[in-house]
Amino acid sequence: MKRLMCLILALLLLAPCLAFCEEEEEIETIVTILPAPEQTKAERPPCFPDPADDYIPLPESANLAQGKPALSGKHADVYVIKNVNDGKTDTYWESLGCPAEVLFDLQGTFSVSTVAVCLNPSSIWEPRIQEIAVQVSLNGENFTEVAAPAKYQFDAATGNRIRIDFGAAQAAFVKVIFTLNSASRSQGAQAAEICIFE
Amino acid sequence: MKKPIRSLTACLLIILMAIPVFGLADQQPTKLTLYEGPKTMRTSGDAVVTVNGYDLFVYDVMVNHEHIWNANTLPTTTPMTYFDFEGTARIRIEMPGLPQAVESAVVQPYSWGIEPEVKDGVVSFLITEPGQYTVVFNGNVNKALHIFANPLETDVPDPDDPDVFYIGPGEWVIDAIALQDNQTLYLSGGAVLHSIISVANANNVKIRGRGIIDGSDYPAWNQAGSYARVPIDLNHSKNVTVEGIIIVNSNCWNLNSYSSKNVAIDNVKIISGRQNGDGFTFQSCTNHLVTNCFARTWDDSLVIKNYSGSTKGITFKNIQVWTDLAQSMEIGYETDKGMTLDPEITEVLFEDVTVLYNFHKPIISIHNSDDAFVHGIVYRNIVVENAFMQGDNGNNKELIEMTLQNSSWSTVRDEFGSIDNVLIDGLTVINTPEGKVPRSRMSGIGEDNMITNVTLKNVKILGQPITTLKDMKLSIDEYCDGIVIE
Repeated sequence: MKRLMCLILALLLLAPCLAFCEEEEEIETIVTILPAPEQTKAERPPCFPDPADDYIPLPESANLAQGKPALSGKHADVYVIKNVNDGKTDTYWESLGCPAEVLFDLQGTFSVSTVAVCLNPSSIWEPRIQEIAVQVSLNGENFTEVAAPAKYQFDAATGNRIRIDFGAAQAAFVKVIFTLNSASRSQGAQAAEICIFE
Repeated sequence: MKKPIRSLTACLLIILMAIPVFGLADQQPTKLTLYEGPKTMRTSGDAVVTVNGYDLFVYDVMVNHEHIWNANTLPTTTPMTYFDFEGTARIRIEMPGLPQAVESAVVQPYSWGIEPEVKDGVVSFLITEPGQYTVVFNGNVNKALHIFANPLETDVPDPDDPDVFYIGPGEWVIDAIALQDNQTLYLSGGAVLHSIISVANANNVKIRGRGIIDGSDYPAWNQAGSYARVPIDLNHSKNVTVEGIIIVNSNCWNLNSYSSKNVAIDNVKIISGRQNGDGFTFQSCTNHLVTNCFARTWDDSLVIKNYSGSTKGITFKNIQVWTDLAQSMEIGYETDKGMTLDPEITEVLFEDVTVLYNFHKPIISIHNSDDAFVHGIVYRNIVVENAFMQGDNGNNKELIEMTLQNSSWSTVRDEFGSIDNVLIDGLTVINTPEGKVPRSRMSGIGEDNMITNVTLKNVKILGQPITTLKDMKLSIDEYCDGIVIE
């Protein structure tokens, strides 16, 4: 009788054990699922409002420099001169050291009054100062200074661009001269776009 | 009188045996946090993965099986998924993307000791510890599944904190994010962020979360019109932590630190398959601690260089590495790119590093290609599961390589440095091609530019303890001294 009781007791103890083994797939789980928002395309994160409203405005007239012949001295790495007026601010020109200059052939004579120098507007570009002057010419040989060397602050908060305004001058050639760049990782002049406006 | 006693004893034994079973039943429930993938993306068609019966979103991420440099290489993809948990998790995997049904599977690192069950093409296994798990199917690394099982998150930042940029689940794009003093970027699980993050001249910055930084929007950096967009770039910064996130599809290096100090990186996972996709890369840095991280890379996985000064106090601990191209743990080649006075690389520790695979160049390498004094370097408990270095046309396929030499990466070409006081304590190689011990080499360049005092001990290759330089197949030239194997 006692043996029978022991056997029953053992079976009672083993039954849950066997059941446990059969149900090993069932792992009691407290699950939290973080849902994704409804989206149809990648969006700008709401915590980073678009800063474009604070950008330094540029003239709405045509950019006389875009696509025109541009010359410079040696460039750093792969940052060739053609990037300086290709209409894109995600490519850039960087000179091999300072001073450096970029000469534009406007392929015609225009009355120019503004030169804008743009870097990539991305905030990844740390604030920096570049010293820049502008000269103009009708024949490509004799140049007149229309904007003396001055230091300009580039800051992503204002679009990483500056504009140099001066009294209207007739020009077939425009020379933009860089004499300083305070960027921590570059000794050369940098410009994603140089724009020239009437 | 004796029989009842014997029966009672048997009962007691059964009861004692049953106690652990009931103990299991009394375990705390598993806590599991899952993240829906962005509604703009589709889960992988190559892998279907569940954890404790719940579907996981699986991402296809770039990797590269071309094990030789190619400037125009094209990556392929492999599946990757992640979740957070505490307790016990049963992983169940189906692989519809494979050309053949799954007949076998291996979970790496082998040290997990997991023997997955494979039944009717379905792989399943239990895990109880957070960590990184890689599953290789049918003995082929193609479409190996990377599972990042994170610990549960704690102290999630307050989205309303003005110093916190909180990016929730979803797909997001912004050209770049520049973090400044005392700011935190929180990238939630379920988030896929197309951007790059810069920490320049900043102090006390945190980047954390469970989400993904994805560089797939950008062409490879060396292609026409493109440029390097480093997903996380620390520059002249200090007191920075990076925790929990995943970096994939970068168009260049992945997590870069330049002239920064006091940086802690934990549980960061990197997978890259494009040109110069180095993993954790530090140049002229001080006091960096990298723990519990994963790097599968198409270029050097763990990298230390000198670009503008010396390097001191770098620790990699509990790291998994899969090197599809170049070296696994590389010091160099650039050791004085900034041409500074008395450049050094010292107090560097690689500890508990598991190399799942290396398909290309040396596992352990010091290429002192400028004029630095490289010394005080320790490798402790390095496990190489698959040392499949094929090299470049038969060269550079050593297990260990230390050299003083000019190279295409040299800046200082007329002076050389030295390498001194290197300890490799615990190096285990489990598999090699054709079951042969890979060669190693050390090469100085002159009597004033030598490799000295390198000790190897507790080396085991293919199950055999290695106690002689000959058995190690380690060649040394006349400008090496004090090279010892114990």
